[in-house]
Formats: sequence, C-alpha cells, structure tokens
Amino acid sequence: MSGDANGHDVVVSVQHLTVRAPQRTILDDVSLDFAASSLTAVVGPSGCGKTTFVRSLNRMVELTPGLEVDGAVVYLGQDIYDPRVNPVMVRRRIGMVFQRPTVFPTSIFENAAFGLRLIGEEISEIEREVEEALLRAGLWEEVKDDLDRPALSLSGGQQQRLCIARALATQPRVLLLDEPTSALDPAATQRVEATMQRLKEDYVLVLVTHNVAQAARVSDRIAVLHAGHLIEVGPTAEVLERPRNPLTAEFITGRFS
Amino acid sequence: MASAFVFRRAETAEELLFDRSLRTRWRLGLDRALGWLLPLLFLVAIVPILDLVYYIASHALPTLTWTVLTSTNPYDPDALGVPILSTAAIMALAIAVAVGLGLFGGVATAEFLPERSAGWVRTTANMLVGTPSVVLGYFGYFLLVITFGWGLSFLAGAVTLAFFMTPYIFRVVDLAYSSIPRPIREAAYGSGARPYQYVLRVAAPIAFPQILNGVFLALAIGVGETAPIVLTTTQSVIFPPTVFSPVTFLTGTIWENFSQPAGSPALALAFQAALLLMIVVVGLNILVRVISARYQKRLEGLYQ
Repeated sequence: MSGDANGHDVVVSVQHLTVRAPQRTILDDVSLDFAASSLTAVVGPSGCGKTTFVRSLNRMVELTPGLEVDGAVVYLGQDIYDPRVNPVMVRRRIGMVFQRPTVFPTSIFENAAFGLRLIGEEISEIEREVEEALLRAGLWEEVKDDLDRPALSLSGGQQQRLCIARALATQPRVLLLDEPTSALDPAATQRVEATMQRLKEDYVLVLVTHNVAQAARVSDRIAVLHAGHLIEVGPTAEVLERPRNPLTAEFITGRFS
Repeated sequence: MASAFVFRRAETAEELLFDRSLRTRWRLGLDRALGWLLPLLFLVAIVPILDLVYYIASHALPTLTWTVLTSTNPYDPDALGVPILSTAAIMALAIAVAVGLGLFGGVATAEFLPERSAGWVRTTANMLVGTPSVVLGYFGYFLLVITFGWGLSFLAGAVTLAFFMTPYIFRVVDLAYSSIPRPIREAAYGSGARPYQYVLRVAAPIAFPQILNGVFLALAIGVGETAPIVLTTTQSVIFPPTVFSPVTFLTGTIWENFSQPAGSPALALAFQAALLLMIVVVGLNILVRVISARYQKRLEGLYQ
C-alpha cells in the first residue's frame, strides 16, 4: 500500500522499498511520501522493521553487512540509492538521532560543531551555527555558559538534545529520530518531545517509536509497520480513532490498555 | 500452571535471616581461608622477583659509577655509554617503524577489511606474537643482512626488532578500534563522516589511551629482546656512524659479558646493563599507567 503525504511539497519519497537480510525479508515493498514541515511517526511491534526503515532513508543500512536494498528513496527528485550518489553526502543532508544519546567524548561545543567541521565550514561561521543549532534543539539556555564542558557530563536528556543539535548544525531538511526517548526518563522525554514539536515547523521529521502514546502526542501522521509491511498510514487522530486495518487496532489497543 | 506460594512451615525471623547450615559455614570458612591464602601466594610469587632484583643489584651496584653510565670512550670497555645511546637509537627507529605498520594494519583490519580477511590478518598477527624471537632473528638475518645486503648493521637490527614489536602494536590498535562502541561509530557515520574522518576525529581520541598502552608495552618487550638483535648486528665500541654500521645493544652487552669470570669488571657490566634494563621496563610500565589513567578519565561515561 502507498502513503500519500497530503501535500504537494514532497521532500522524501520512498518507492517500493524492500530490504532483505540473508535469511528473511525485513521490509517488503514499502512506499511512503514525506512532505515538508511534517512529523510522521513510524510505529509497530518490535521486529516489524521500523528501525531498518528509518535507517534506509539515509543509507545507514549499508553499515550493517549483509543487507540488500531494493527500490528507491527519492530525495528532492534524486534517488539516493543511485550508484553515483555518495552515501556520505546523503547522511550530511538527512540527519539522524539514535536510541541512546551518542555524544562524543569532547566538549559540548565540539559535539555540536562536529558536522560543521566535517564539511570544512569557515571557523567564523561555526560559532554562529552551533548557537543556532543548540537554540533549535532547546539546549542553548542550559549550556550557553559552559560550552567547553565535557559533553559526557550532561544528563541523558541533555545529551540527546545535544545529539539533535549536532544533527541540525549542518542544516539538513530531514531529521530521522530512531526511538530518541527510549533511554530517557519522563521529564527528559517531555523536553525532547517539545523540541520535536518545535522542529516539525521547519523540517521533515521521521520518528520511529514503539510508544503509541508518544506518537499521539507529537505526530501529525502515523505509519504502522507490521512484519515488514506498511499496513496503515494516515493522520494521527484518524488512525488512532478509526484504524482501518484490524492489526492496527490490535496493536494500538494492546499498547493503550 | 500457576500455583500460589505456600509457606511450608512457620519460620521465625532468626531462621529466615541467619543461615547456619553446614554448607554456609563451610563456604564462609573457605572464604576466610582464601583471604589468607591469596596474600600468601602473592608473597610466594614476589619472593623470586625480589631475589632477582637483589641478586642483580648486589652485583651491579658496587662498581656502578656515573662514568660507567655516561662514558662513551671507545677505549673504555667497562662503560655503558655507547650501548645506552645505541639502544635508544635502535628503539627509536624500531618503534617508529612498528607504530607505523601497526597503526596502519590495525586500523585497516578493524575498520575496513571484511570480517573474513580481518580474521586471517588477526590469526597471522597472533602467530607472529607466538613466534620465538630467535626465529624472527634468523628471518631478519637472511632477509635483511644477506638478501638485502645490509650486513650486520644498525638498520638490520632496528628493522628486525620492529618486525618483532609490530604485532603487539597491531593487536592493540585493532582491539582499540574494534571496541569503540557501535553507537558512537554509527553516530559519526550518521553525521556524514567520511571513513577517514571517523578514524581520525572520532575514533582516534577514544582509542588513544589503549594504543599508547600498546606502544609502551611493545617498547618494554622490545628493549628486553636479545635474539633479533644479536643475530642481525654485531658488537661495536662506538655509536654507529651510519645506519649500515654495526651497533651494540644493552641486551647484547649482557649476552656478550655474562660468561666472563666472576668478579671481573666485564661481568659487573652485564649486571649493570641488566639493572638498567629492569629500571627502564618498570619505568615504562609505571609511565603507561599514569598516562592512560589520565586519558581514561576523559572517557568516563562513554562505555555505560
């Protein structure tokens, strides 16, 4: 089944995406469009392929040996799996945040500046762009006075927002979030969720979560994966209140009750 | 099938909280006995080492003077100045070559080679570590001294020693890079790092303390090696003027002098060289602990 982005400004278009491991098919013919200024939550039971799905949107799947990708992921009209496309360039335009905060053992500033240093950004620009990224990630007020502190001294929630800032610093249009709050406590989760809600005005956000309540709180659209198939996609309220697929209903109620 | 938990009988708090069974008493007794036994075993292990230190020091110290350590006069056979300087020079060249090869090979194996080829490389390195150094010495002799025509020389000795130390450094580099937490690696690549940027900017600072450890370990092992050196170079009373000149080495001095008559200055020289080597090795070990402890502090919280 295919998902419509309900808009004309499609940034990422996933077309017949199939990912195979040596023994099994992880994703089977998934097609889904992502429009600008949107937050799509990808939900499903564990093992349904949602992490693989989001990792195939910036070619991170290729870091796992043995996976084979078929189909196309079209970013602004260009298939990122085109052999001429360098995956490094894709990942610089489509940022990613992981389950556990993955700060590097350097200062807060250097973490936020990481992507900028990779692309050889002008030194004079870096400071301004780091501040901008930290502001957008909702961390600036907490860290602006000690940017030289080791990033590992921050709390888990702050580290995760620092990772968001790191991904935002290179000004991507798309941000992939793979269960970004699963390792965080409720207060930190709430702050990361607030950050996501703010960010969706300007970015294409794809949020993988096993938490339907979180999807209900922050997303405009829900895509449900089940055993590698996209079984349902639609506006969040609609999917949660009137799921069309019985499996969706089962998954949602199982999680809610 | 679920069944409710049932108390078999009424138990007093004493019965519940104080375990006086025979088995427990036996275990506690054993625990206490081992608490005495282990320090005792430690003593048993350390006595021969202390005895060795005493034995060497008692032969070395009576005639040890500042001149013995510093004189480079070629007509003074009972001085260590030339062997010390020569050893430092050989170690410098050998460690430079070994670090170069080890870093390159280790990073390539950990980060770039497919799993199967990496396995082969690791097996080869392990075999090299297990190869007796005398075999490596003969290899250096036939390849460098004879085939390459370098003669019994400083260069042949240093390069053979480098071959000997490389697998140690290789293993440490490989392990350090392989054990970088996967999320860190993915975060770097996910931010659009090119492989060399990951290796240099993200992984290198994390792997550094371990690699430094390995370099010092290789130095400590290499400086105490005899066979690779005595087979590929020959004694000299002066510091080698060119890389193709023969060169002397501290362990070589021990090798040459330890069969000298008891009480002779030549035998004392062997003990003095041995004492010096021991101090260097212990010093290297202490240094590596201090340095890696300092760097490790920076990485706290990374491997949670």
